[in-house]
Amino acid sequence: MSTTTKFGDARPGIGAMSVRASAPLHEARISIRNLDFYYGANKALKGINLDFPAGQVTAMIGPSGCGKSTLLRVLNRMYDLYPGQRATGEVMMDGENIIAPGMDLNQLRSRIGMVFQKPTPFPMSIYDNIAFGVKLHETLNRAQMDERVEWSLTRAALWGEVKDRLTTSAMGLSGGQQQRLCIARTIAVRPEVILLDEPTSALDPISTLKIEELIDELKHDFTIAIVTHNMQQAARCADQVAFFYLGEMVEVAQAAQMFTAPKEKRTQEYITGRFG
Amino acid sequence: MTGASQTIHASGPARDGKIADRLARKRRFQNHVVQGLCLFATAIGLAFLVLILATLLHLGVKGLSLGVFTTVTKPPGSNGGLLNAILGSLIQTALGTAIGTPIGLLVGTYLAEYSAGSKLGDAVRFVSDVLLSAPSILIGLFVYTLLVTPFGGFSGWAGSVALAVIVIPIVVRTTEDMLRLIPVAMREAAVALGAPKWKSIVFICYRAARDGIATGVLLAIARIAGETAPLLFTSLGNLNWSVDLGKPMASLPVTIYQYAGSPFDDWVQLAWVAALLITFGVLALNVLARIVLRPRS
Repeated sequence: MSTTTKFGDARPGIGAMSVRASAPLHEARISIRNLDFYYGANKALKGINLDFPAGQVTAMIGPSGCGKSTLLRVLNRMYDLYPGQRATGEVMMDGENIIAPGMDLNQLRSRIGMVFQKPTPFPMSIYDNIAFGVKLHETLNRAQMDERVEWSLTRAALWGEVKDRLTTSAMGLSGGQQQRLCIARTIAVRPEVILLDEPTSALDPISTLKIEELIDELKHDFTIAIVTHNMQQAARCADQVAFFYLGEMVEVAQAAQMFTAPKEKRTQEYITGRFG
Repeated sequence: MTGASQTIHASGPARDGKIADRLARKRRFQNHVVQGLCLFATAIGLAFLVLILATLLHLGVKGLSLGVFTTVTKPPGSNGGLLNAILGSLIQTALGTAIGTPIGLLVGTYLAEYSAGSKLGDAVRFVSDVLLSAPSILIGLFVYTLLVTPFGGFSGWAGSVALAVIVIPIVVRTTEDMLRLIPVAMREAAVALGAPKWKSIVFICYRAARDGIATGVLLAIARIAGETAPLLFTSLGNLNWSVDLGKPMASLPVTIYQYAGSPFDDWVQLAWVAALLITFGVLALNVLARIVLRPRS
């Protein structure tokens, strides 16, 4: 507890330095530079610099209110739904700053999919849940759509459980199945990046395990960013881990290094459970 | 009891068992009193409902015959029916619902989805709420000056429009309330797939709010099916057979109004039958809607 007084001596820019220190082998799919985010007058993210390496899982950890979910919602411009929220800085993807005005948001969101904390199946059949997103961006005939539905459900490790009841309501699935359906729905659009906002916090341990295995499987084809409160989950799933505190990114490192030898004192205190 | 609690609270101040018992008795007593009052009030409310339905059945059923549905209204003593009134009510209620529902749906959607923080939204909501509680005779008079006077006469159209004006605020309110109940997460999930706002409203939100919105429409139908005042100045009523919307049109409520106060026994009997038909028509519609809207598992 007495150490909390030392949090004030954060060195600005340390996050960016760590990014370079632990330069990933994989090329960055998304690069965040000097990102600030505001909820009205309240600055929720301060000067964030972070790379998301292609084909890897980047986990964002930190106590509640540290800005990790906010960062995720910047990446697919979800904050655009709410007047008064704004971001400044650069979030580069394929040479484009995706937070710049004039970006086609619907197209952006087809490239950067998102899965939420609570499963959010739409009130329609399992099949239609998946077809809804696909139809927004592609014109497929019935056979192609059938194929896409099977493909995405298979990738989400749900096909075997639902293949005989595709036309029944998705609301009848269990929580864990619903969340895998949401993942299937997201990958059916074939995004390049998948954002996962505490995807297992509403699920039981067995469902959690399935989702974690799924993440491990999916990272071969997608770049994944996951926000989690669960340190073990970050350690199990992530290649790279970023620690956030009070709107700043304190440290980013390869998962093994982060959990064994963090550079920053605040990181060490958080991952050893002294606060948060 | 007392001993146990004293051991549990051994470290703190001891609990006085007598006071605790007295308070518990008082709570139980209060609970019985309030529960009794609630049951009494419920019984009064239900009693009136049962009495109304019983009277309706008692006096209405004995007048039911095939002739009621196959013969039009006729002068007293000549074995008339209600065919024109039944059909007129069906036409005007259906048309009023068909005109009022889409308008109400769109206004409710505007209020719930697009009006956040705007003064126009607040004004629309206020006006709609006022309209919701406006006396229906005022709506009749309004449509009278709007459609009856300029177009030279009472008409089924005017009656339907007056009923539509009653439907609109009911559908506005239920649509807005039901859309607001949809979790933010579901909207965000649709948007996160790359859906434009209108698609997430039409394909996700409407679907999620479907039962609630349909209930609102049913409430509106139930309300206008029994409305008399708005029709008195608009479609007037018609003792002869007419399905021409440009002419005065009969309806069950107006027929009840005219027949129930008449000195002729057969007309009074037909008024009871008409009341029975409206009540059970609305009831049947509600039951039907519940069956159709039942969530499929």
